[in-house]
Amino acid sequence: MTAQEVRLCGLLLQEHFGEVVEKVGRNLLKSGTQNLRAIVHETGLSVDLVKKSLCVLVQHGACSFIQGRKGPGSPTEYKAHCDRVLRILRYPRYIYTAKTLYGDTGELIIEELLQRGHMTMSNTVKTVADRLTQSMDEGSSMDYGEVSATFSKLVETHFLQRCPPAAGAGTTGSSQTANSTSAAPASSTAPTPESFPDCYRVPQVTLIGRSKRSLASEEGEDQRNAKKAKMDPETHGDEGIYWQVNFERFHQHFRDQTIISAVANKLDQTSSEIVRTMLRMSEVTTSSTAPCTKPLSANEIFRSLPATYNIPRHILDQYLTLLVDDPMEFVGKAGESGGGMYIVNLNQALANLARATLESIVQERFGSRSARIFRLLLRKRHLEQKQVEDFAMIPAKEAKDMLYTLLSQNLVQLQEIPKTPDFAPSRTFYLYTVNQLPTARLLLQNCYKTVANLMERRLFEAKESKRLLEKSQRIEAILASLQASGAEPEQLTEVEEMITAPEKQQLDSLRLHVNKLDSAENQVDETIFLLESYISSSTKPTS
Amino acid sequence: MAGRGRGRRPFGTDSSISRGEGLPPGLQQPTPVFPVMEQKPLPLAGGEEAEYLLALKQDFRGVMKNLPFFIKPAAAQRDVQRYSDKYHSSEQTNSLTDWNLDWRRFPRELQVHIRRRVREGLAFSTMDSSVPVQKKKKKKEEEEVLLKLETLEKKEEHEQSSEEEEGGVKKKPEEEEGAEAEEEYDEEELEEETDYIMSYFDNGEEFGGDSDDNMDEAIY
Repeated sequence: MTAQEVRLCGLLLQEHFGEVVEKVGRNLLKSGTQNLRAIVHETGLSVDLVKKSLCVLVQHGACSFIQGRKGPGSPTEYKAHCDRVLRILRYPRYIYTAKTLYGDTGELIIEELLQRGHMTMSNTVKTVADRLTQSMDEGSSMDYGEVSATFSKLVETHFLQRCPPAAGAGTTGSSQTANSTSAAPASSTAPTPESFPDCYRVPQVTLIGRSKRSLASEEGEDQRNAKKAKMDPETHGDEGIYWQVNFERFHQHFRDQTIISAVANKLDQTSSEIVRTMLRMSEVTTSSTAPCTKPLSANEIFRSLPATYNIPRHILDQYLTLLVDDPMEFVGKAGESGGGMYIVNLNQALANLARATLESIVQERFGSRSARIFRLLLRKRHLEQKQVEDFAMIPAKEAKDMLYTLLSQNLVQLQEIPKTPDFAPSRTFYLYTVNQLPTARLLLQNCYKTVANLMERRLFEAKESKRLLEKSQRIEAILASLQASGAEPEQLTEVEEMITAPEKQQLDSLRLHVNKLDSAENQVDETIFLLESYISSSTKPTS
Repeated sequence: MAGRGRGRRPFGTDSSISRGEGLPPGLQQPTPVFPVMEQKPLPLAGGEEAEYLLALKQDFRGVMKNLPFFIKPAAAQRDVQRYSDKYHSSEQTNSLTDWNLDWRRFPRELQVHIRRRVREGLAFSTMDSSVPVQKKKKKKEEEEVLLKLETLEKKEEHEQSSEEEEGGVKKKPEEEEGAEAEEEYDEEELEEETDYIMSYFDNGEEFGGDSDDNMDEAIY
């Protein structure tokens, strides 16, 4: 938990859950595992507020609790998860992906689950159906069955998963889910959701009917029905089974998309289609942490190509050979049987993509000649000052300057190799070197700092013009209510003129700035994703 | 040995720099806040996807602000009691009651305060001073009662029977916060179906029939 990560998490919590939760979350992130009394004491908030904030954090999965760690009588301890809070940056991307894959219904399901943390299937289906109905035309409404079908599809493709049953919370010993097969003792390690066999099983839910329009429907029975729903909660056979979004699966999807678009950029559309086919075929057989996909024979690939791409067999073989020979090493050959066995090197691809990102960062920051030096050092590992000048074909003085700039920014390291036991400078080799993994970590922290700065600037801009924003909101509300009650155009123009022209300009420029800052945050998050994936793939122990 | 560890020469004394040159003079002050950039950054990626993502992000933030998960800090106690306080206080309580937790997934120790909070409604910032809290609570209760009279009329029709049972329970003198907590528990257990807090509502059935010894103001 670095300082930059804590700062960014604090800002994210503040924007989405308020200052109280931010204080509690920050305290937990900085101090590690703590019990309730300690949190109350350190934050100085009231007990009720702290309890409420902890409920919010646990609901959204940002915090987990362990009971009885030091024995049966010890208090419950809470631990915050930094990486889970940082995921909030990526929520728009998850929702958009769901939209492209499963349409509006999928988009709304994912959005609801992200907003609420975790929910039961029946609740989700009902809420989403209501939302869809409101946006549809008068008279038609959304059938629960359709939404349930989309939900099941999301579960089948592992985009949604069940929440693991809370170990030892609340009730003593009785299992909450209807079919948790593992006994839940108070173990010291939190079980992952995938360690439960029913993780991806859709429960039998009795949910028939259509959603009802909630607003302005004159029918008395609708109102009575709505009231009845509040008074006796209908049970649909899936009480206690909560679902959450499976971020790992989304990350896998993003990674695949990045590889495919990289191949499309470097080679051509057909090769990217071939790689897409290979990845699609390996979706179910490859685990998320595998370094490469299972070998696929060229015959299988040929059969599974989409129908629109009817390329002859020998052209496919040529494409595959081209992909294998490409220096980016996306695709590798694993054998000769079946017309050639091919794999996609996932870890290698991520490493190459990360390297390209690092090079491009250096290029945009320091110029193309510094980038040339950087690339040189990445490939040739250790080089002396003189060799750098020669290989990069840059005059000595400029090369020296650039090297020292890069060194002061910590992008390049100096390695001393002594010729004599005393490190006399005239008799020591000084070699410049670049290590990809530590540099990636450094730049990742820079990215976190960037996003935190962008958010702070955005909040500052909004605070500066707070008065103006409130005024414009009030006027919009007045306009909306006037239009709804059918006012004359003169009244509307009169209200609109309450905002003067320079104020309008100020508002426009404010909106432009805020949008730019927000958009920049989204873009930086793409880089964050790439660097994070690279770092986690290279530090994971490969079996 | 000389030159190892702490005694290391500054790296500028390697063979690549000629004797007389030396390093550029050291920095005597912090770097400027907005230094001039030689390389200007690239423009942001535009396009339909980026705009849609932006819209999604801003919508999401807006929605989160209205969900019950957004906890506003306790409103600062003003020096003088103002007329608008009773309207502000009712706004805040609504968000807290919307969220139905499944307590089986949460530790029990986080549980008590929700019921408490809902019952008291407002004074969740100070739990230590019991007397002024109760007085304020009672005043606010009666203001709540007056405010919610209209909307709860309908509720009253449905739940006439359960109301009369609880009427007697509610009107006991409210000195002990401890005893109160248990009563609240019972009331809440019976009233779980509704979002409205029945204990705020005075349905007028007991008008004139209850004890006046704890009322500071006349009942309208």
